Amino acid sequence: MNEREVEIESRLRELAAGSRTPPLPAETAALPWTVQRQRRRFGLLRWAVPSVPASRFGAGLLAAGRLAFTLLFSVGLLFGLGQIRGAPGSGAPAYVPPFSPAPTPATALQTPDPARKVVVLPTSGVVDDVMADFVSGGIQQAIDQGAAAVVVKLDTLGGSQTAMNRIVDALDAKIPTIVWVGPFGSQAMSAGTFITLSSHLAYMAPGTTIGAASPVTASGGDIGSTYGQTEAQKVMEYAVNKIEAIAAKRHPEAVAWAATTVQSAKAYTVDEALSAKAINGIAGSIDDVLAQADGQQVTIGGQSVTVHTAGATQVTIGENPIQTILHTIDDPNIAFILLVLGVICVLVEFFHPTLFVGLAGAVSLLLSFYGSGNLPLNFVGVALVVLGIVMLVLEPSVPSHGLLTIGGLVSFIVGAVAFYGSPPGPYQPAVAIAWPIIAIMSVGAAAFAYLIVRTALELRRQPVWAGRMTVGEAHLEGEEGEVRADLAPLGTVYVCGEEWSARSADGDIPRGAKVRVLSREGLTLVVARAE
Amino acid sequence: MFAKEAYLEGGPRDALLGRDALLGRDRAIDAEFAEAAAAELTGAYRLAGYILADASEAQDAVQDACVRAWRGWSGLRERDRFHAWFSQILVNVCRSRLRTQRRHPFEPLDGFDAADADPFRAALARDAVGRELTALSDELRLVVVLRYWGELSLAEIAERLRIPIGTVKSRHHAALAALRRRLEAAEGTIR
Repeated sequence: MNEREVEIESRLRELAAGSRTPPLPAETAALPWTVQRQRRRFGLLRWAVPSVPASRFGAGLLAAGRLAFTLLFSVGLLFGLGQIRGAPGSGAPAYVPPFSPAPTPATALQTPDPARKVVVLPTSGVVDDVMADFVSGGIQQAIDQGAAAVVVKLDTLGGSQTAMNRIVDALDAKIPTIVWVGPFGSQAMSAGTFITLSSHLAYMAPGTTIGAASPVTASGGDIGSTYGQTEAQKVMEYAVNKIEAIAAKRHPEAVAWAATTVQSAKAYTVDEALSAKAINGIAGSIDDVLAQADGQQVTIGGQSVTVHTAGATQVTIGENPIQTILHTIDDPNIAFILLVLGVICVLVEFFHPTLFVGLAGAVSLLLSFYGSGNLPLNFVGVALVVLGIVMLVLEPSVPSHGLLTIGGLVSFIVGAVAFYGSPPGPYQPAVAIAWPIIAIMSVGAAAFAYLIVRTALELRRQPVWAGRMTVGEAHLEGEEGEVRADLAPLGTVYVCGEEWSARSADGDIPRGAKVRVLSREGLTLVVARAE
Repeated sequence: MFAKEAYLEGGPRDALLGRDALLGRDRAIDAEFAEAAAAELTGAYRLAGYILADASEAQDAVQDACVRAWRGWSGLRERDRFHAWFSQILVNVCRSRLRTQRRHPFEPLDGFDAADADPFRAALARDAVGRELTALSDELRLVVVLRYWGELSLAEIAERLRIPIGTVKSRHHAALAALRRRLEAAEGTIR
């Protein structure tokens, strides 16, 4: 150590010795007592209930209400979404099919024969295991009840191959099976074509479509890029053989026609299908179907059977609620909506942890993944949608002058348009998200993300809420409080739920006395005894 | 992600809202802790103030140290070692606050000297040595402040910082050397 450093050391010693300690601020002096309220860092209760009302009972009520609300909301959401199931969802046809109306009660054209029953099975949406369970279960029920025939009301863009095979097998039943593609605007695409042709009798409503059961997509891409050429050839050949075998049972002339639905992805109108002898007739309603089917000969188990359906009582079997929920969520639109809601909820959970929002989001995401299992998801589209939502959610917290919103919206819309890719097989549906849903969801997601996150950020900055009013200078004057540390004349008082430094304006006031605030000087209140 | 209130509980607001009762908190005050902690406050505020050279930072550091001490209080066997234990907590808190300060340095406004507003900075600014002290690295500054303002021996500093005494000695030496260099550079003289 050289002499200069020795000098520095002594200067430091002198400086330190002469350094006085500023007086302790009041809140620091109170620390040994105030910190003792500190116990647990996180309890489940305090996490679930971020702001707690005055009583234990109220808090329990709040937590229970929150839980009930979340559950009700989730269930209501699923049932609500069920209403738009079967809504416009196809990119392939040029027109938009209308919503499927609820099955109408039977209006007998002829004298009803109560002894004769026909079971009606209305279906819609993607061909999946739920639909296969429903159709095969419904046909079994019809056999058990001794029904004269089964009518499957069909409106689908296609679906999974295994489910389709199960339905095709079920339609080869011991009683006559009739597929009716209807009402107006319905479609029997991809797997739907196979199902229609495999029934004993097939009818279509005016303005419906059948066909496009092909690995070659409507946009001109082919499955060779997905599977490799050899594999694509195999898939194609298998599909052609299968549909030719199904069509051969129906009419020899229909075989060549059926092969074209697979080989060249052609979709046909009702008249074209009828002239190719692929279907038995054109029927505008189920009553019409039953009238036309009456007296037709069908082959069941090698024997020719005459169908008697005229004037029969129609018994409509619906899906059970679980089937409805499971079948609802694999609608292409609903899988998309669930994904968007799930991502928003999970992100909101990050900004404002309440547990339930995050859980609801996780459930939405899981349902969405389950639902899109039968659909040709395009992962680039999914990634763009998620990125878009993240950008929208970041907008309120990151200053970007609206750039994040614009970028998020563009990413969201492009992702939504590309959400479903070309179907990888001849049975799967060529689906896209309906434009109205993209429009509503993108505007909705932007507004929702913005509002929710901004509110969460504002909540963090909101002033302390104490009982009936917010603490702030505007409210302090005239408020009553209690002395916490003797005012002699300086001390502390407890006013509006906060401890304040205070100065007495009328002499010494002991601890515990009631005081009234006269005015505020900086962070010190001027108080006087309250009468 | 959590607001500060979420984990810094306590305060009259909680009592008012009935949150204490709700969470089953025991409101009985541990007088022994209160007495022991109250005796440390002034010294802790002084030490934190000169380490951090900022009164409000020092206030926060003392609060953090008190909260940690209260959390660990039931695990402290030898109550007579409270002073050493508490100051070790305080030094740790100050260290992590210094790291945060480094990540978010304050840029003084033109024509505004922080020394005017802050009592600790003002006290340090009485001598050029004090001004240069705030420019030293965290590790060197800690040793100097503990040595002269905290009036600890080098061995005690080693214990507080949990480093070998040799390291304390070399840091102490390096700090003095660095102060000398900075002062000489400031004065523009080289001896």
